[in-house]
Amino acid sequence: MAKIVIPDSAHAALNELRTADIVVGIPSYNNARTIGHVVQAAHAGLLKYFPQFTAVIVNSDGGSSDGTRDVVLSASMQDARLLMLSTPVKPVNRLSVPYHGIPGKGSAFRLIFQIASNLGAKACAVVDSDLRSITPEWIDLLLRPVVHAEYDFVAPYYHRHKYDGTITNSIVYPLTRALYGHRLRQPIGGDFGVSQRLLRRYLERDDWETDVARYGIDIWMTTVAVAEGFRVCQSFLGAKLHDAKDPGSDLSAMLQQVVGSVFTLMQEYEPAWSLISGSQDIDLFGFRYDVGLDPIEVNLERMLVNFRRGCEELKEVWQLALSPETLEQIDLLAAATASPATFHIEDELWVRLIFEFACAHHKRRLDRGTLLRSLTPLYIGRVASFVIETRDLTAPEVDQRVENLCLTFEALKPRLVAQWKGSAGQAPRTAPEAAIPQHVAAQKELEV
Amino acid sequence: MIRTLQEVLERVIARFYTQITTYLPPLIVAVAILVVAFLFAKFCQWLLTRLFKGAGFDRFLRETGISSVVDDSGHLHAVSIAASCVFWLVFAGGVLSALSVFDTKLTTQFVETAVFLFPKVVTAGAIVLAGIWLGRYFGRAILVWAHNEAIPHARRIAAGVRALVVCIAIVAASDTLGFAPNVFLAAFIIVVGGAALAASLAVGLGGRQTVQRFMEEDTRHATEPEEPLWRHL
Repeated sequence: MAKIVIPDSAHAALNELRTADIVVGIPSYNNARTIGHVVQAAHAGLLKYFPQFTAVIVNSDGGSSDGTRDVVLSASMQDARLLMLSTPVKPVNRLSVPYHGIPGKGSAFRLIFQIASNLGAKACAVVDSDLRSITPEWIDLLLRPVVHAEYDFVAPYYHRHKYDGTITNSIVYPLTRALYGHRLRQPIGGDFGVSQRLLRRYLERDDWETDVARYGIDIWMTTVAVAEGFRVCQSFLGAKLHDAKDPGSDLSAMLQQVVGSVFTLMQEYEPAWSLISGSQDIDLFGFRYDVGLDPIEVNLERMLVNFRRGCEELKEVWQLALSPETLEQIDLLAAATASPATFHIEDELWVRLIFEFACAHHKRRLDRGTLLRSLTPLYIGRVASFVIETRDLTAPEVDQRVENLCLTFEALKPRLVAQWKGSAGQAPRTAPEAAIPQHVAAQKELEV
Repeated sequence: MIRTLQEVLERVIARFYTQITTYLPPLIVAVAILVVAFLFAKFCQWLLTRLFKGAGFDRFLRETGISSVVDDSGHLHAVSIAASCVFWLVFAGGVLSALSVFDTKLTTQFVETAVFLFPKVVTAGAIVLAGIWLGRYFGRAILVWAHNEAIPHARRIAAGVRALVVCIAIVAASDTLGFAPNVFLAAFIIVVGGAALAASLAVGLGGRQTVQRFMEEDTRHATEPEEPLWRHL
């Protein structure tokens, strides 16, 4: 595997630092407006909660033209206003380094991990550069389980608006949970804590130059951690308030990279997931509290039009991936878009659809990029259905809806295993489907 | 009179005898060659089927996705097809050998032409197949891209791309075969040029206002960022 190149400017700084106990990484690209706050929060968190550790804040930048790197290096810590219960004995250093290679979040993470590894850091945390809700406590919550409780991977747990994180809620969380049996609520949250052991495992892998280099990085980190048996936990971070995604960014490409990474990793970890049934809770650190969230406006009409157009235009592509029964139901749904109030994509249909896409990806029934991009209108349809369904629901009720979807994923997993292994004809079609209500009821009983 | 008739009859019998002695042995040999070639071809077909089926070749193609590249249904029986190809190849070789036994001007010319054209036919066939496959590949990719970019008439655009790629393949194949290459090339240029001209005229005459609106919209979009549908991740 080609080793990542650390720029010369960073080499000099690393030689001077030589070692560090903790590294906090912040990937960025034109985030001058928000990154100052993130750096300050990280700096304060390190001073406040890890005063006895040598720490470095590393900004890995993708060639920003708005002065992001200058902001990182100049963001001042208002020490006078910060109440420290213990006096920091070690300074917090800052480093802003441009990364090279495929532009994307994954490439930025790779440089951060490489620097952390070179410095021999015991723990590394990464946080997004567009966060508005980050506080110094986030650094403690992401690093303490690694530093003091020997966890290898700390995933975030946030409160998010019901229409925020729709890829997470409709695909990535339920699918990852059903596959690997871990209830990691935010597998692509973007803010993580990682141990030295796991860091080295990430760096020795040779798939950095795939979708992992871009938006696939978050699910890749989570999946490697859970599938390879590293100790994982979650930390409650409160609300995740961040800048809206770049409007110019392509939803289809984002979906392709995230879902493509999940499907590709399914292939690698088939022995790990094919034998797992059900799921288990993961340790959750931090004090849970309710928070106010930014409202999110959705354009339902546009979504339904997009879904209907997809049904009209992409059928010839879906025919290669989906079963005739699934296609037939999608046809009926296209007609149902005429009355938005009653438009609804059932959980079972959605789960079947995702499983069939996963199998088509596995069996390369058509070009993988085209296959994944063709999922976009179906995903938009599913989000529209979710919006209609949860319009008047409270946050706990919406959580219950997501939980029900997860249970459906788990109940139909035997069907996925059968299809994946090529015995589509023998896929148990009725048994698990009939078992869904019992499965859901049994899980609810256990939780009570 | 009787003598004349006798002479005619004798000449006919002699010519018939000569023809039989000239053509019967090669005919018998040709039939024998055909029978042997048929049996050998069948044997090759059987052997190939056994060998590849035993090695799970179809399963390998299915699992690696290669079969679905060629056949949309993903149920391509590659072993049967390859075995049939080998059968017909061996049998065609037998037919040509049988024909060459007659050693006449016509058969020699036929055999020579067949041998000379064979590689070209195979190449042309491969070009057309590749064109069809590429056309489908690009057609699907364009279709999905056009849909996701909300470009109107995505299916027509995809069909156009597909047809264009297949046309290019046919032109290339005809050029390889030396079969009216100029006609195909000219037809191709006329079609593509005509389509471009028609599109230009259509846009110029009928869609001027639409284009103007589109460009204004585009400029507006460039200055005002589009409102996202929602935040995804």
